[in-house]
Amino acid sequence: MEKGYLCIVLHSHLPYVRHPEYEDFLEEDWLYEAITETYIPLINVYNGLVRDGVDFRITMSITPSLCSMLADPLLQDRYIKHLDTLIELAGKEVERTRWEPAFNRLALMYQAQFIETRRTFVDRYHKNILTAFKEFQDMGKLEIITCNATHGFLPLMEVCPNSVRAQVQVGANNYERFFGRRPRGTWLAECGYFPGADAFVKEAGIRYFFTDTHGILHASPRPKYGVYAPVFCRSGVAAFARDFESSKQVWSAIEGYPGDFNYREFYRDIGFDLDFDYIKPYIHKEGIRINTGIKYYRITGRTDQKEPYNPDWARERAASHAGNFMFNREKQVEFLSDVMKKKPIIVAPYDAELYGHWWYEGPMFLDFLFRKLHYDQKSIKPITPSEYLEQNPRNQVSTPTMSSWGYKGYCEHWLDGSNDWIYRHLHKASDRMTELANSYPGATGITRRALNQALRELLLAQSSDWAFILKTGTVVQYAVKRTKDHILRFTRLYNDIKANRVDEGWLADIEYKDNLFPEIDYRVHT
Amino acid sequence: MKKAVKKKAKKLPVVKKAKRLPVIKKARKAKVVKKAGRAKKTVSRAVNAIESPRSKTEETKYYPRPTPYLPPRQWEHEELPERYGDTRIVIMARDPYWVFAYWEVSDERRMQVEREASVSWNEMRKVLRVYDITGKDFNGYNANRYFDIDLHPAATSWYINVGAADRSWCVDLGVITPDGKFIMIARSNIVMTPRDSASDVVDEEWMSIEEEFLKLYGLWGGFAGASPGKAQIKKIMKERLQQELSSGGFSSSVRPPNYKGRGFWMVVNTELIVYGATEPDATVTVQGRPIKLSRDGTFSLRFALPDGDQVIPVKGVSADKEEERVITPIVKKFTR
Repeated sequence: MEKGYLCIVLHSHLPYVRHPEYEDFLEEDWLYEAITETYIPLINVYNGLVRDGVDFRITMSITPSLCSMLADPLLQDRYIKHLDTLIELAGKEVERTRWEPAFNRLALMYQAQFIETRRTFVDRYHKNILTAFKEFQDMGKLEIITCNATHGFLPLMEVCPNSVRAQVQVGANNYERFFGRRPRGTWLAECGYFPGADAFVKEAGIRYFFTDTHGILHASPRPKYGVYAPVFCRSGVAAFARDFESSKQVWSAIEGYPGDFNYREFYRDIGFDLDFDYIKPYIHKEGIRINTGIKYYRITGRTDQKEPYNPDWARERAASHAGNFMFNREKQVEFLSDVMKKKPIIVAPYDAELYGHWWYEGPMFLDFLFRKLHYDQKSIKPITPSEYLEQNPRNQVSTPTMSSWGYKGYCEHWLDGSNDWIYRHLHKASDRMTELANSYPGATGITRRALNQALRELLLAQSSDWAFILKTGTVVQYAVKRTKDHILRFTRLYNDIKANRVDEGWLADIEYKDNLFPEIDYRVHT
Repeated sequence: MKKAVKKKAKKLPVVKKAKRLPVIKKARKAKVVKKAGRAKKTVSRAVNAIESPRSKTEETKYYPRPTPYLPPRQWEHEELPERYGDTRIVIMARDPYWVFAYWEVSDERRMQVEREASVSWNEMRKVLRVYDITGKDFNGYNANRYFDIDLHPAATSWYINVGAADRSWCVDLGVITPDGKFIMIARSNIVMTPRDSASDVVDEEWMSIEEEFLKLYGLWGGFAGASPGKAQIKKIMKERLQQELSSGGFSSSVRPPNYKGRGFWMVVNTELIVYGATEPDATVTVQGRPIKLSRDGTFSLRFALPDGDQVIPVKGVSADKEEERVITPIVKKFTR
């Protein structure tokens, strides 16, 4: 009989980046890289576990903006093109490295991987990998949860309750379209919670969400079981909180697994390493060097003299790390069940893209972990939050504190000298959206289309990703462009609707560009 | 001007503060820093705790690193309006100790205030009046306490160091007339700063003895099995909050550096290009492996060239298999 539960949560998210107006757009690569390096490797792991009869549970958020991109025909076709180029490059690499066996072996590995990826993507899932995730959900292995429509950061939206509602509702409705039922849980973007946000979650028919550790440790009244049992908010929605230790073991590069010297080095990619003329056809059209995904080195040590990657050594390390992770959870569960006199649930959430994209061996680690949990021990049982709530319907009522899982635990990453200028525009647009929705309760025809598009533009402007990028300083111009584009499109729609002079040609153009959430209903913003 | 900034910044415990100030023209920055320093004195000292040196974890490889060189990409777009013609102040709680405020004042309201105060708008002394209204149904007069922050004339936003977690706040934007009268221009929404420690409220039905709660709480600080003191835990927890254990945002936005920022470096590699031509319908092998000819009968191969000898027999056979030619370049590479 188990003594406690382990709830692994993978949060997969990318902002909506889709530019039909450009032939080659740098930021679209985020999606292509994530499909090749994370989503398909995860699908392969799930398939393998199912095939071998290993019972496993993973809770996975796939955000509405990511779902929309994965289901978009333009991006699907562009991905295949991207993959074909990669396969061609891998083929050239097999030739080029002929006299260097250590690299040649890796070139062959990538070539085989990319060809297999293409087969999975095109032949098996017919370009839409959401169907794969849905299959695992229908089997009861995976619990797919939703997220705020465009990953809007709710604590900084508290003054615009209608936007909070729209973020949650549009997300939940979008989920229903892709997965054929209402979502049971949601991942509040960046674990961003403020007291009262749960009421909107409740309204959307969702039963649970997650906070960071201190969100519940600092809840009031004091939570009897710490973060090792959920609490019910006053609205009746359950809040689960992250366990710190299991996060640290994976995330921290000082103490964490992914920093192991035998693992693949992320920062050495042939897109940057190889001769410019040779690599030119495979980087950005304007000659900007980018990651190709072909990486030949292992972390090696705290040195720039990197040594070739050895897949066998890495595999061995992944297995031993999975064993170590399990061992630590067993100890933790024993300690906790003793203190709590109740079965604890250890919630371990991670960005999905950590697995595979950053930590190349991450999917393999998960594979080993679930196999070991299944065969090698009895004290921990993998579980989903829904299953836990079914078995434990009675929980303490308490209000979590405002919190996020970002830097310093609150809002600082999204509210800082680099990005605070956006909020006056976002809040103003939100007020205007409410005004529109109230003034045109029964719009039809082109006005209705314009109102729906206005809400799309508002939601897109609210993506937490733009503020995040402005703060980290990575692709700042792009984040500025996106914020301004959507606010300006919204503002023009607002003015045109009120003046009753919507330009249909222009409307059709932005409907074509910002085409997500076809099911949207602007009246949700009231 | 520049010197003044430096000096002042050193004195302040929070050097980073200048960054958080409202974005205004550079020449004026020095003044603003000074002002912020003054405002700081009016509030309590809880801030130092969250400003201690960042923990090592933040240097993880998952933390966004500086970007490689990307040519600035410019896109055409209109600018967003500087003002919307409203008179409004909005506040947002950033963390347990800081509240952010932004505001704008319409031309009409400015003129109205000018008439009332008999001072021109630009010369008016503008302030934020920050009310602690915890537990109150605030009516403008029943705050627990308040303090004023003098604003730079051009400021349209401000980070207010309220310095107290789990309290409710409301902020008035106003001016102080030469005879000391406060004229309110706009009143903000109400926010509550989040808790920074465990609640003292205990639900009888879900009570646990203090020691047991501390055990669970202490796990956050890595105290499994031990029974740490409450004060010790509180300190550790604050440090925990500063660690970056999630990417935040989305991982893919992080681009790798191109060796930059790691000190001096140099890499030298060699590649060898083997190229030639024959009859377009001939069969060619290089080191025994068949290769594909271009339509005009040319070929070009590129190999990474390691140290040592490379013997590269290139063999061509005519289409009718009657003729054959072998040419064998031998290349020696060594590095010193």
